[in-house]
Amino acid sequence: MQIIKYPITVKINKSGEMIYFSQLDMVRILERALRRSGLPFYTTKGFTPRVKISFSGGLKLGVEGDIEVTFYFDELITVDRLLDRLSSQLPIGLKLIPV
Amino acid sequence: MDLLNFRKPQRYIGNEWNVTKKDHQGRISVALIYPNLYEVGMSNVGLRIIYGALNSYDNIVCERSFLPGEDMALAIKNGEFDLFSLETKTALKKFDCLAFNLSSELNYTNFLNILSYSGVSLIACQRETQIVLAGAISNPEPLSEFVDVFFIGEFEAVIDDFVSVLSRYSAKNERLKALSEIAGFYVPKFYAVDFDGKNYIVKKNYQKANLPIKRVYVKDLNTSFYPGHWVTPNTAITHDRAQVEISRGCPNRCTFCQAQAVYHPYRERSPQRVMELIKEIYAQTGYENFSFLSLSASDYSRIEELIDLALDFFRDKQIGLSLPSLRIGDIVGKLYTKLSSIKKTSLTLAVEAADDCLRQRLNKKIDIDTLFDAAHIVKALGVKNIKTYFMFGFPDEPSDNVLRIAEFIKKLGQETHLNINASINAFIPKPFSVWENVEMADLGYLNENKNQLLQLIPRSKKRVLGVANIEQSILEAVLARGDRALSKVLMIAHKKGDNNDGDWACFSWKLWQDSFSQAGIDYEKYLKVNTENFPWSFIEVR
Ligand code: SF4
Repeated sequence: MQIIKYPITVKINKSGEMIYFSQLDMVRILERALRRSGLPFYTTKGFTPRVKISFSGGLKLGVEGDIEVTFYFDELITVDRLLDRLSSQLPIGLKLIPV
Repeated sequence: MDLLNFRKPQRYIGNEWNVTKKDHQGRISVALIYPNLYEVGMSNVGLRIIYGALNSYDNIVCERSFLPGEDMALAIKNGEFDLFSLETKTALKKFDCLAFNLSSELNYTNFLNILSYSGVSLIACQRETQIVLAGAISNPEPLSEFVDVFFIGEFEAVIDDFVSVLSRYSAKNERLKALSEIAGFYVPKFYAVDFDGKNYIVKKNYQKANLPIKRVYVKDLNTSFYPGHWVTPNTAITHDRAQVEISRGCPNRCTFCQAQAVYHPYRERSPQRVMELIKEIYAQTGYENFSFLSLSASDYSRIEELIDLALDFFRDKQIGLSLPSLRIGDIVGKLYTKLSSIKKTSLTLAVEAADDCLRQRLNKKIDIDTLFDAAHIVKALGVKNIKTYFMFGFPDEPSDNVLRIAEFIKKLGQETHLNINASINAFIPKPFSVWENVEMADLGYLNENKNQLLQLIPRSKKRVLGVANIEQSILEAVLARGDRALSKVLMIAHKKGDNNDGDWACFSWKLWQDSFSQAGIDYEKYLKVNTENFPWSFIEVR
């Protein structure tokens, strides 16, 4: 069976208190935000499924700036819906920006 | 202060999801402090219950603080700043009340260190207005010089009374008097303790204070407070999962067990209420892992009903579940097919003794043969690791005790082909356990057994072995069983260095030996049982 997943890429601006959190922390923060948002997130298959999120580039600890993040969904959703539902679930210091 | 100068700055930010921030103006401020690092303290469920419950009162602001890392402690000692709360970075010395969780004896010195990092006087009677409250402790006596008021029991049960006393009175002594009249609260300065060589004799010097001190507990878990607004860390912590308590106490009575006594009686939360909490906590946190919190999940009488209720939700949302301390019979029996459809399960086996006869004396019920018979099922379940617990140093244990433990661990690995994580501890006769009046094995015997174990069970890729540091266990036993005289030793040890005693790498036995001898106290007397009662006998836990 072929598994279809729908990616959406956005930018996330990291500032303020969030600059203290590492890339590894970001995975945790975004996965939980995504789960809270109620959006139909895609998970990897197998014994220990994980929410799939990929990053391109990274920021050093303590640096403000943008990172590019791709989220994956089980169905097609619009960027607007993503921004609408996910933004309110992000801590102060993380801001979604459409690309 | 630039937090980037410190290791793991995430520990100090205080911007977790669901954190409570309030204006201090016009409110009574309570700092809730776990005397160990953020990662450890944030894994403690009791702390979360009290944090949520206190903040539910509009006139209370409750904020958290933890032991700072070594580098930050150094900056504090250099006078750069004082220790602060995470939420609003308010100096701890400005709070009306500092409330500590002192569940672990090896955190006692961290507790003193935190007071001194805060610029607060260590001695209770030298603090003019601030109240230091300590809970989750079994035998408070060794800390009686430092703590203004102890609470024995489950704080949710008295929180209304506590808040109303703080609201009604503002002077420290009036607050302490009023608290000492409420069941569960113990204000050491209102009591004089004499020791006549055989007996500890406790007398009141404030007549309205309670005596004996009766432990207070929650009657009904379905109506008691549990935090749905689960504070969700943005960084890894020791137990990185949402923990939902399904029961409190334990219907068994293993002779070495303190938890059974100090969480008495056994109470269950209904599957419906547990499910409500799971849904609420998931909606509030998005946690990808949950665990059911209980001293003995197998004894939860409606475990099948609960799993039935929770299963679809966990499967649907791809949430992992760990079920601690399940009986093998449950896993390989009825629950097997159900559990295998959830993301992952971990298996914990508290075997305690490999010898059947000794296990019977411990009153430890565990179906070991079932485990070996069903090793293939356990594997098919997707269990990758088995965590297992043993103890040694029991009175009259068989002479080949450790050999039997080693054989058991090897067999477990061979027959299940799973990763084995074995944790082996020295028996400590803890207050209120059935064996509180049993003599602890001595340092030499315990170390000999430990070395034997390490030789018998070589580490391998599939086997992790953790054997207790014996000197640490002896200290833990002495502090657990001690009397008021130990305040002096704690003070001396604190002045010698601010080591985190809970951490093997920092712990110094020499420092403690010197402290005991400087105080003129023979620590071994606390491990003997030649008294008629104990320093903690004025407390009734059940
Ligand atoms: S050791 Fe476990 S099963 Fe035994 S009494 Fe204590 S909590 Fe219960």
